[in-house]
Amino acid sequence: MSIYKSEATIFSGASMLEETAFIIIQIKPVVPIPSHLTAEIQSKLAYVDESIHRVQVAQDQIIIEVNTVDQPFDNDFQTLLVEKVQKVVVSMVKGAIQPKIQFLEDHLDRAVPGNEDPMVELLRRGEISKEDTGLFCIGPLLTSLIAYFERQFLDLADSFQAVPYRFPTLIPARYLERVNYFRSFPHSLTFATHLREDLDVIDSFSQHACCNSQGDLFAPADSFAPIKALLSPAVCYHLYFALADKALQGGELVATAVGNCFRYEAINLVSLERLWNFTMREIIFVGSKDFVLDNREVARQRMARLLEKIGMAYRVESANDPFFIGEFRKQAAFQSAFQLKFEIRARLPFKNSTLAVGSYNYHQDFFGRNLDITLPDGSPAHTGCVAFGLERIAFAFLAQFGLDPSHWPLESLER
Amino acid sequence: LDNLSENIQELLAQALQLPIEQIPLDLAFGDIPQWDSMGHMEVMMILEERYGVEINADTISALTSIPIIYEYLQKRSDNI
Repeated sequence: MSIYKSEATIFSGASMLEETAFIIIQIKPVVPIPSHLTAEIQSKLAYVDESIHRVQVAQDQIIIEVNTVDQPFDNDFQTLLVEKVQKVVVSMVKGAIQPKIQFLEDHLDRAVPGNEDPMVELLRRGEISKEDTGLFCIGPLLTSLIAYFERQFLDLADSFQAVPYRFPTLIPARYLERVNYFRSFPHSLTFATHLREDLDVIDSFSQHACCNSQGDLFAPADSFAPIKALLSPAVCYHLYFALADKALQGGELVATAVGNCFRYEAINLVSLERLWNFTMREIIFVGSKDFVLDNREVARQRMARLLEKIGMAYRVESANDPFFIGEFRKQAAFQSAFQLKFEIRARLPFKNSTLAVGSYNYHQDFFGRNLDITLPDGSPAHTGCVAFGLERIAFAFLAQFGLDPSHWPLESLER
Repeated sequence: LDNLSENIQELLAQALQLPIEQIPLDLAFGDIPQWDSMGHMEVMMILEERYGVEINADTISALTSIPIIYEYLQKRSDNI
């Protein structure tokens, strides 16, 4: 391991200049990291310590940038940090199972005119503004583009005669506990609470609550009530809970809803690619295994026609959900083996990379069994959904076609 | 009931943390709440540990019932 110190000036947000001292640590992983795990480990290392500012993972080297403003850096801290990093590496690499990568569609080489990062121009024009990490205010250009994609997704939903639903932004903690969400995705949870119903507590809060320069809210101890709800991480869960503990009428259901979703991703929250608060449109299938799988496939084929019409460069490939470290190895391997998840990954030409803008998911009878949703024959219902990240697909579109609407290949978009 | 059947029953009981009496010989993935995705991966890991079964996408998706596991292990021993 080698260590060197450095001083740097970085830009944070759109206009704030901030002096930040940091230390870069280069770590040789105790076990070599297979190439299919580098991105997964990089994303997980964001949760190792609050002082971590940036992470870069290669097969034989990990580079960690540690912010030393809030965290004094000494030998003990360094040792502890390196141990935690190695612990993550070992637990994810040891016994890792090579995923079975499958491509259902591959149009990544499709020619698209854009080659610039849209963020720079969007920020400059005031078409987006950053409220805080992972939180963006979206202006008229992106709003109209998102509305265009929403109309396409609603047409897709209509083609299945999907019934519309509206779900709350909050989701009860006991619901997520029932489907093992706390065990699978603890790192991305976002909690909601309120002040305790106590006149003295509310009065004290109103007088003393304040934010520090980092935006952290400070309030008197015991101000907040126990957490009973979280900000919802997904749309379709609400439907499954609405159907829980009873027989599914008619034995099959197609529903659609759009909703705010929240997944905290620490330092991985960058630009519109990865938001803490984002919007998803979902089409949800509940019924027999064949009903769910057949409809998921039909949805994919119909979506392929839309993406071809627009001319987007993308690929549909097998994927896994971002399970936390302890669950990752088994759950990801299981998802991969049974081909439960496929992502639409749109090309981002400016960084020669791809971004997941949608997914086709099959949950087998997981929700049917855990929530006691039964089919007419008494067996647990199978579920699946197709989901589209509205901000992400709009962002990928801008990355591929630029910000000038007169050059967009979208016939029906109101300009 | 031959030895291999008994061994598989016992293996499933250990993986799914159930008494062996609750493991019928025709048990399949999804038949009981314990044999869910996580339970299945426990089954796979013990199969790897005891019989050297390689865990990969093909074996994970194929070995989904006691009769299939039996047939798979039987064929392997025949080929050795």
